[in-house]
Amino acid sequence: MYSEKVMEHFSDPKNAGTIENADGVGEVGNPVCGDMMTFYIKVNDDRLTDVKFKTFGCVAAIAVSSMVSEMAKNKTLSEAKSITKKAVAEALDGLPKEKMHCSNLGAKALAEAIDDYERKRSGEPPPAPKPSKKKGAKRHVTCSHCQERNPITAKFCMSCGEKIGD
Amino acid sequence: MKFVENQKADDTLDLVCRMCPLHLLEPGDRLNCLKKGQVLEVLTDYDGALEDIPNWCEKCGQDFIGIEEDDDCYKLYIRKAK
Amino acid sequence: MKTVYMDHAAATPVPKQVIDAMLPYFDEHFGNPSTVYDMGSKVKHVIDEQRAKVAELIGAKAEEIVFTSSGAEANNLAVKGAALANRKKGNHIIISAIEHHSVLNSARFLERNDFEVTFLQVDEHGLVDPERLAHAIRPETILVSIMHANNEIGTIEPIPELSAICREREVIFHTDAVATVGNLPVDVNKLNVDLLSLSGPSLGAPKGIGALYFKRNLRLMPLIHGGIQESGRRAGTENVPAIVGLGTAAELAAEQLTHKVEKVQGLRNRLVQGVQDRIEQVIHTGHPVKRLPGHASFCIEAIEGESLIFMLSQKGIYANTGSACASKALKTSPVLVAIGIPPGFVQGSVVFTLSESNTVEEVDYVLEQLPLVVDRLRSLSPVWETRTAA
Repeated sequence: MYSEKVMEHFSDPKNAGTIENADGVGEVGNPVCGDMMTFYIKVNDDRLTDVKFKTFGCVAAIAVSSMVSEMAKNKTLSEAKSITKKAVAEALDGLPKEKMHCSNLGAKALAEAIDDYERKRSGEPPPAPKPSKKKGAKRHVTCSHCQERNPITAKFCMSCGEKIGD
Repeated sequence: MKFVENQKADDTLDLVCRMCPLHLLEPGDRLNCLKKGQVLEVLTDYDGALEDIPNWCEKCGQDFIGIEEDDDCYKLYIRKAK
Repeated sequence: MKTVYMDHAAATPVPKQVIDAMLPYFDEHFGNPSTVYDMGSKVKHVIDEQRAKVAELIGAKAEEIVFTSSGAEANNLAVKGAALANRKKGNHIIISAIEHHSVLNSARFLERNDFEVTFLQVDEHGLVDPERLAHAIRPETILVSIMHANNEIGTIEPIPELSAICREREVIFHTDAVATVGNLPVDVNKLNVDLLSLSGPSLGAPKGIGALYFKRNLRLMPLIHGGIQESGRRAGTENVPAIVGLGTAAELAAEQLTHKVEKVQGLRNRLVQGVQDRIEQVIHTGHPVKRLPGHASFCIEAIEGESLIFMLSQKGIYANTGSACASKALKTSPVLVAIGIPPGFVQGSVVFTLSESNTVEEVDYVLEQLPLVVDRLRSLSPVWETRTAA
């Protein structure tokens, strides 16, 4: 399933950890969806002098975080910003199709850390948290007996069997 | 085609949903388990059985009694002659 | 490096006795059972002997067994076959929310074809409440399918109570017993079911064979039409070596069952106690008592299942997981969501399924390595750091 390179970075991840008083912190993903990466950076003269990460996720997620941190260390901010998910996947000798999103997440987490640094430097306030999308609110109906959500077309509750709208 | 009503049977063979040629193989096996003179009721939704089973009975020397049409299948009655 | 294999629900070695029984049917007795001459009819006779052995394992009659290619196919035949054959009586089906995908997706297929489906919720142990079932049955209900035990969390469902309700309301009852046949005593009369699926690999038979028990006179729409094999219920030239494998495995399973249950239960209890003693923030999922004897399943906070499994395999330990990343569909396990496992734990799923070949030393090795792997992954995890800092 995974290349030797991926397994190397998974078994012995480089730069795992945190940075006290980091110059920038970037966090992406969440544990519910299965992957979460937090990147910490130290910047000197526009160069990333230290990069550390903490990752909750699968083999690919950990390997990607390790590889991204290695690729970013000692690069200039602009060089680090241009690290793409493709470059990360290639550096790992490829990722399975269904794990490519991990390489995207890694590049994104680093970019967020850099953005955070740049915002702090320019005195900008941090961005407001994005409101959660109420997806499909109109496409569901709640059973008045057991409160389970059902598709709007359901005549009987899929959980308790009671008539919807009774 | 001979139609009957309320024919009593000693055993039922349900072949509904099962297709050709089961309707010609299984009645023979089931009749082997009956005594001479006993009646086997065969349930089938296969149209071909209406012709096949009476012909089979003639070939094998069994008595074909008749057919009753039910809501979801045909019922064919065979009396064991030998 | 030591190999400790504890994923017997996924695959288990086929015993030599079973392999030896199968081999002659590849080259010596290779006849097609449907041919009229003796090379064929002798093989047909052997198939019927195997059918009787499988029937005996579950308290059924030989003519009540259909051979299929797998437990999944048996589930498809049970759910779709019974529903389609009984469509005139109604179009409502009830299944539990934690069924195997072969039952779940068969029901979803029927939903797209003019049937209505109720997905019964389960409690925090994964148990279906008989009262909830009784309440969900309507005049149009024709089929209920509830698994005998769930392979992800080990919980054994109260099948006799559930099937009794269906018997009273004249509704066909199917149970997916893939996880239980060969691991527990299973008797179709005591369970009082109309249909029961089983799978070869679960009892030491080769992959590619399963069977469906159906109560005599129950109508089933065949899914695979063709010739006269399996009395028209499932066409296709029979996989004779695999059928012989299944029959032989069934015979062995019947002989060894009591001893197996006792041994794996002891090992499993040692494993569960050890994990709970050595690792903090771990949930032992499924029912603590009404569960498969050799099954231990956990959700561990702040780590992800695929990483855990890979790290364990690097130590020679083989287990399974139900977390999102590991499943190629990248979805969180619906079973763990259905039993209400909290978000911080739901990805950290690990399932150990033991067999009588496992030993105390192997369990102790797992108890030595698992905490180290968990600590390693937690040291990498931002979620654990946040939790412990709080």
